[in-house]
Amino acid sequence: MKRGPILLAAGLVVVAADLLPLALVAKQAFTPEAESFAWPPTWIPATLTADNFRALRSAAELEYGFFLSGTVALCSALGTLSLALPAAWVSARHPRLDRPLDALMVVARAFPSIALAVPLAALFVRAGLYNHPAGLGLWFAHTLLGLPFAFLVLRTGFASVPRELEEAALLDGATPLGAFWRVSLPLARSSVAAAAVLVFLVSWDEFAYALLLQVTNRPLPPLLYYLAAFGHPGMASAMAVVMLVPALAIIALLEPALRAGVLAGSGR
Amino acid sequence: MRQLPGAPRRGRAAASLALPMIAYFALFLAYPTAHAVRLAFTDPFSGAFPSAENFRLLRADPLFWRALANNAILPALSVALEVILGLALALFLSLRFPGRRFLRTAVIVPFALPEIVFLTAMRYVFAPRGYANGALVLLGLPPVEWLLPGRVATLATVVAADAWRVTPVVFLLFLAALASIPEEIGEAAVLDGATGWRRLVHITLPLLRPALRAALLLRGVDALRIFATPLVVAGAEGAPVLSTYAYHQWSDYGNEGMAAAAATALALLSAVCAAPLLRREVRR
Repeated sequence: MKRGPILLAAGLVVVAADLLPLALVAKQAFTPEAESFAWPPTWIPATLTADNFRALRSAAELEYGFFLSGTVALCSALGTLSLALPAAWVSARHPRLDRPLDALMVVARAFPSIALAVPLAALFVRAGLYNHPAGLGLWFAHTLLGLPFAFLVLRTGFASVPRELEEAALLDGATPLGAFWRVSLPLARSSVAAAAVLVFLVSWDEFAYALLLQVTNRPLPPLLYYLAAFGHPGMASAMAVVMLVPALAIIALLEPALRAGVLAGSGR
Repeated sequence: MRQLPGAPRRGRAAASLALPMIAYFALFLAYPTAHAVRLAFTDPFSGAFPSAENFRLLRADPLFWRALANNAILPALSVALEVILGLALALFLSLRFPGRRFLRTAVIVPFALPEIVFLTAMRYVFAPRGYANGALVLLGLPPVEWLLPGRVATLATVVAADAWRVTPVVFLLFLAALASIPEEIGEAAVLDGATGWRRLVHITLPLLRPALRAALLLRGVDALRIFATPLVVAGAEGAPVLSTYAYHQWSDYGNEGMAAAAATALALLSAVCAAPLLRREVRR
């Protein structure tokens, strides 16, 4: 019995249905806005146009949104790594620290964003960080959000570096910091890269903190939300496509690392 | 391990390397949480502390009660649906056939994309003149009001949108668990005459129990703080949950105190539900 092709066909049907909404958004991005308002809706584009992308480019807010999202994501990745690297290394080397730090990560991961975003917004208003033009407040929030992911990925990475290598470096006269910097860090570099990309993506995609903390100086996700909410299906879809391209590229390149990130902390 | 000279002292010095991260959590997690509690118990009119005025206002707001109820209903239904779909997908894609690797990657896409991009797509699918209704009309059926505020259908729509996006997480958990089942078990079952359905029910599913527990715990805790899906798909009053309610109070009415009270209630709910996860993590 040849069941292979049948299973493949069934799988392709499931995937097609699964991804249809995204294809429809892509369609809306490349058709005139009037077609997106049409009833009954079209499934195959009647007219193709790049007008939506042109309109999007001339909207000044978009460039700023890109700048803001990029800056915040980059700074969050750096901030998260600088805090998580030493902690993850210690945790991998000193099993006694493992459990309390694990518990902290569970709490941080489970904490509802909005429950934290509301008091953070109130505190940031006073500190001048609310709606900050460079997204400083959002950077702090996203660093917090990224820490559990980065910590778990990095600790797995450091745990896979044999401690004998560090000890050999120490016996050869290296300082503990030197042993970390020249031996462990280079050997764990793929985990470091995975953690950095993961935190960058978490920040780039994040919606709740961005919506609450940046009311008028908006990064990309809230910008897309408002474009769609105020009835610009063409421009909103174009923007969705713009946000989708880098995400898809990263997924294609780093799928194994991301899979590890999704599964990190799931009890493995 | 052989102790190097000076190892205990180095151990203590090393522990201090975790301090910056712990301090960060204290400053940006513990302190704001304490501040939320303070705001929640501060009278919004007179500024008196402690006061239960915010909670009295919440109690009088029907939208809050809907949000509280939905915050139990939505996560429960969504997680149930994710587990069913995720398990079915994992069982299907753990069969051997050409192209399954491609399919495994393709089904993760909805979760791997920016949340807001996927939810924007959902918004256009379930709009009154959207694609879901377009498909119904093509089939000769009457269109459905997917998103009228307060309807059961609206809850169902939000559940569908949420499960659609998050099922890949559960799928990955089950797929990993299925891959770790030794082949000999399946072969032994076949030798003993257990095939198909019986093998699934009596052998595979019991072996997946740890993965199921992990999925329920992880996704349950995640689902409690559901925010973007109801807000983007149904609006602040379509299918309110505690998160959207707190956001609504803060940003649309400027009610800091009520927002903080709702936020505190949500944090408390999450803490209670996360406790098993925490206990499991510490016991490990």
